Amino acid sequence: MKRFIEPNELARDSRFIRQDNNQATTLALLPDDVDKVVEMLEAFGPTIEQQVKGTAAEPLFDAYGPAFGLITLNQPLRPDDDAADTRLKLRMHGIFVGEIQALEGAGRSLWDFPDAPWEFKMNMARQCWDEARHVQTYEKLLEHVGGTVGMFPESTFLFDCACSDDPAMRVAGVNRSLEGLACDVFRDMIKWGEKTGDEVMRQAVDYVLADELTHVRFGSDWVKEFTKDDPERYKKAQEFRRQTDKQFSFGGARSAREDAAIPIAWEDRKDAGFTEEELQDLSDLGSEGPSRETMMEAARIMVERHRERRAKAAKEAAAGAGK
Amino acid sequence: MYPGLGRDETTTFEPYSAFDIPADLRELHGRYDVEATARRVRNFRYAEEWMMMAMGGWLATVPEMPVKTGLGKIIWEGAKAADEFGKRLPELRCGRKAVNESVASNEGFAGFIQDVTEPERPDLTIEKLAGVFDVLKPHLVEAYQKHMRETDAITDAPTVEILDEVVRKTERHIAWGREVLDRLCDTDAKRERRRKRVSELTATLRACGGVTGDIGDRDPGLH
Ligand SMILES: [Fe+2]
Ligand SMILES: [Fe+2]
Repeated sequence: MKRFIEPNELARDSRFIRQDNNQATTLALLPDDVDKVVEMLEAFGPTIEQQVKGTAAEPLFDAYGPAFGLITLNQPLRPDDDAADTRLKLRMHGIFVGEIQALEGAGRSLWDFPDAPWEFKMNMARQCWDEARHVQTYEKLLEHVGGTVGMFPESTFLFDCACSDDPAMRVAGVNRSLEGLACDVFRDMIKWGEKTGDEVMRQAVDYVLADELTHVRFGSDWVKEFTKDDPERYKKAQEFRRQTDKQFSFGGARSAREDAAIPIAWEDRKDAGFTEEELQDLSDLGSEGPSRETMMEAARIMVERHRERRAKAAKEAAAGAGK
Repeated sequence: MYPGLGRDETTTFEPYSAFDIPADLRELHGRYDVEATARRVRNFRYAEEWMMMAMGGWLATVPEMPVKTGLGKIIWEGAKAADEFGKRLPELRCGRKAVNESVASNEGFAGFIQDVTEPERPDLTIEKLAGVFDVLKPHLVEAYQKHMRETDAITDAPTVEILDEVVRKTERHIAWGREVLDRLCDTDAKRERRRKRVSELTATLRACGGVTGDIGDRDPGLH
């Protein structure tokens, strides 16, 4: 078996479909400019439509057009939201496939780095078991909220970060950045469970969050260990994590702002070895790229355009039928 | 209540041998001295370490969801087994640094491990699992049990304790793996793939003398 695989080599059964990663990557790199955001997303429109066809996200596209992603990402998930049910399923599905990729990433770290220290292998092996339980937990939770496996496309963007051939970079990207993001999202899901009285959700995610903090700690410890005599490599690992964090800040969706869709789990992250300085940096990072206001204005324009297009098409179809 | 210096000053407690309660029929002397046991423990560690690393690599390339999640726990238990073997080595006069030593008994066994870990395509789950759960793990159970039978059960008891625990877990792994394989091999063609894989790997294993390099053709574990 070879060392190092590409995200498109992740094996899935026939229930799954894949999503193009370009959109998420490009989004975080856009300037804070409504027209640019609209222009880019409109360009992706046909691709997005193609991707969601036949999936549970198709109704979302029908209603909002190519901007539906912005709406689900940038509006906090509230129980009384009209589309809360679909969006909850979308989020649970996203977490579920994320856990699969975390499992695969931890496993690949065992195979890709045969000369790594034994303690590193022990940590990764333990993570394999933890992530396997998380996959099982979220498959149940997805079912619990009425969702099914494969109902939304899977982005393999998370696994991208597990493809670094330097173990320091890999744990920086996967364990510190992605697992850190998981902590933020899970803290938010626990709150959701509390708000809606969903005790099953609250308790299950509470346990998963405890595991994730352990994984972030693995990351914090191993980045230090792998780079201890090599300040250049440490800098590179930090930069890699920042880059990953930036891509995952979803154009400000995850940030320290009060109205962020996914707030940073500040206290949890401190427990797991993030310094105040790193957290401040993360919070500033999350606020780079297009602001939430820009995203929402872009979304508003695009939803309007989408509805105009649909109305025009319907009118033309009716006229054609009348001839 | 403590004995004094002369015969007339003994206590009144009944004299029992160290093996009387409960009756213990173990006898001193086994087939392996300290050095031989240390060598074998390094061999065991090699097998467990490489096996769990390979299963880690496969998580990404098996499409069957229950296989992905089922392997997660087996990887962790394999790592713990390797860890326990490693911790035994300094106790066997190998030095404190020996905790990380994994050594193949010979090149033949290293080659066998290469063969077991070779499949990577997503349509090769049968070959991946048959190598581990039909061949390697059952072989390890045999080898571990052989060591427990043949070593000095009194002086080498710490090794026996580790093996006892690892065998218990490994038997559960084998039961799981075979149940999965039985389910995956639902056509004659697939059953044939499994059979072929088992027979090829068993031949390689037999040729190199197994995990410790000294398990001959007559050993029941290799038939
Ligand atoms: Fe996880
Ligand atoms: Fe994790």
